Amino acid sequence: MKLNVIRAYLKKEFIDLIRNKMIILTYLIPTMILILFGYGIKLEVTHTRTIIIDHDHSKLSLEIINKFSHTKYFDVKVKNLTYKQALHKIQTNQADMIVIIPPSFSKNLYKGAEIGVFIDGSFPLRAVTLQGYVEKLLIHGFNIKLPIKIENRNFFNESMRDYNAVVPGLFGLIFLVVPASLAAIIIVKEKEVGTIFNFYSAPIKKVEFIIAKLIPPFLFHSLNIFILLLWTLYLFNVPFRGNFFIFWLVSEIYILISVGIGLLVSIITSTQVAALVLSVIITVIPGFLYSGILMPISSMDKESYIEAHIFPVMYYNHIIYDSFLVGQGFKSNENVLYFIILCIYAVALIVLGTSLVKKAIK
Amino acid sequence: MKMSAILKKEFLVFFRNIGLVMFILYAFTLDIYIAGKGIKVTPRHVSIGYVNEADNLIVNKIISHFHSPQFKKPKLFLSEKALKNAIYNRKIMVGIVFSKEFVKNLISGKVAKLQVLIDSTAAAQAEVTLIYLQNILMNFEHKIKIPANIDIIKLFNPNSNTKWFMSLSELMSNITMLGLILIAVVFVREKENGTWDIMLLMPVKGSIIIFSKILSQVLILMVGITISVGLIIFGIFNTPINGSLFDFYLISFLFSFAIGGIALVIAAISKTILEVAHLTIVIMLPLIFLSGAWTPLSSMSPFIQFLSYFSPLRYYIQATQDIFFRGSGFVDLLPYFGAEFLMAVILFYIGYRKIGRLF
Repeated sequence: MKLNVIRAYLKKEFIDLIRNKMIILTYLIPTMILILFGYGIKLEVTHTRTIIIDHDHSKLSLEIINKFSHTKYFDVKVKNLTYKQALHKIQTNQADMIVIIPPSFSKNLYKGAEIGVFIDGSFPLRAVTLQGYVEKLLIHGFNIKLPIKIENRNFFNESMRDYNAVVPGLFGLIFLVVPASLAAIIIVKEKEVGTIFNFYSAPIKKVEFIIAKLIPPFLFHSLNIFILLLWTLYLFNVPFRGNFFIFWLVSEIYILISVGIGLLVSIITSTQVAALVLSVIITVIPGFLYSGILMPISSMDKESYIEAHIFPVMYYNHIIYDSFLVGQGFKSNENVLYFIILCIYAVALIVLGTSLVKKAIK
Repeated sequence: MKMSAILKKEFLVFFRNIGLVMFILYAFTLDIYIAGKGIKVTPRHVSIGYVNEADNLIVNKIISHFHSPQFKKPKLFLSEKALKNAIYNRKIMVGIVFSKEFVKNLISGKVAKLQVLIDSTAAAQAEVTLIYLQNILMNFEHKIKIPANIDIIKLFNPNSNTKWFMSLSELMSNITMLGLILIAVVFVREKENGTWDIMLLMPVKGSIIIFSKILSQVLILMVGITISVGLIIFGIFNTPINGSLFDFYLISFLFSFAIGGIALVIAAISKTILEVAHLTIVIMLPLIFLSGAWTPLSSMSPFIQFLSYFSPLRYYIQATQDIFFRGSGFVDLLPYFGAEFLMAVILFYIGYRKIGRLF
């Protein structure tokens, strides 16, 4: 390995990226994703547009309406509509839920009284959550004494903030998508434009070429670890309970994995479009689904549980969530195991990629 | 005539790039299958552990009520410490401690307090899990008399089948992504390969070149949509369609042109495909995730809800959900068609002006 060759190649790469103004986007995109998603993804269901049709007009029905109005979960409008008209409101997306209190509801209590709740089921998670809210609220409204009272203690995200649940999970998504597509494209570009022949004919070794190509995306995104950390801590006020050194180290390894995926993509593809589409497809969807943002891995179905273990996001995000919310660090065997898996993953990807690159025309 | 020649050329270029064709097929079939099948948004198989300090049969009776699909088989832990340890290692999401006092109070009919430890890293999931718990405990004691029957009906998707929802969301996300990339690249590839000037020398008006280039990619998208809807959404997932399929095609067509307008702007700005890549990601991600594809719009912050009025994807998503689930007719959908059409015209005009300068 000749260091001065690598140095010269690196210089060329850096100049190329800076001239392209790529450097702005390299730093703009991760920050943008973090801020937009952090503020935008709300898994908690609030402000459900609710129409209550009260045919009873009794003290109890008013009390129930009051109960609905006094939470952030429902935006209540009391209207005198027929069921059909109300259903049409849901169909035209002007309401999410209808509650119908039938005539002489309070008189028929304990004698088969019935309250009807119709929820727009297009969003399954929202529908299930709303069902739970409504049940809880109505049982409170009827003043039923339950023999068992649940006293729940929430771990890690004590106040159940959505920010704490979503923002750390975005690290796994961002550092999978962005470095991979950057790495894939800067290699494939040479193939498509034809300058790859410089590499074929110049006295540069395969390893040197790969090192020179992968170092720029790796270094650029290493800085992003700190930028994203600052946003997370000071903009979203997510606590940091773990070890900073572990967080940093595992993030560097993860970026290496992502760059390795980019390298593999660049070997299969020969045009930049194909490289872009492929790297986005294989990173965005698993990066989001298996990140633990939407659902904890331990609660997945068998198929997706196995699939989640194939992608590196799960292992990385486990340690990231631990660093931010739990704080066990390497005291937990799980974290050590996942760290080792990530290291193996990184080495395997880079070695595989290096062995597949050919310094000749096919 | 001239238009069909350009269309033919673009199709040839597209189909010669076999790798790209394969990836696009993948995006319209297998990818949608995986997204629909793979993830259940409502919590299922929640891992649960418990400590039985009282060693009473009633505990086993309660535990027997936790069953699949909501819960995994509950795991017995010997001490609270061991249970907490499992939660800290994130092996267990919900831990229940049945203390001696709880059992004593439950048997003697007093209010029994049940200690529940829950991993609330995923806040929304934790909340729904707590609701499950509450329901199980309520049904466990048949003594409670509820004064009125609570009749909750989930319209359009009564069993909360997430496959229908997820596969459609995934399809719309993929259309957005592919539309932006394909259309922008059709132009930028000519720039990068140096064939731009040759294109200008053709005895065809600029406007026709632009329009037919976009049309070629829109047609490719429509074929992809047909494959996806026929094979995966109707074929495998049996998604019901309560509205008309024609409406869906119409809104998809309008949406493709709106996206085409954005892609024209990207194509005008970028000189290389690398730039297209970055700009596409910058535009695509907020479009997809903040237009209500995956999480309901009504729960987002008011500012983002306001911004989403400017997103063509918002109208597309709402119209599609209306057509498939809520079964709205053509008249009810008119606002969406109108908005989407307006979006398409405005974006297309902006994009046309931008790229038109290069002709």
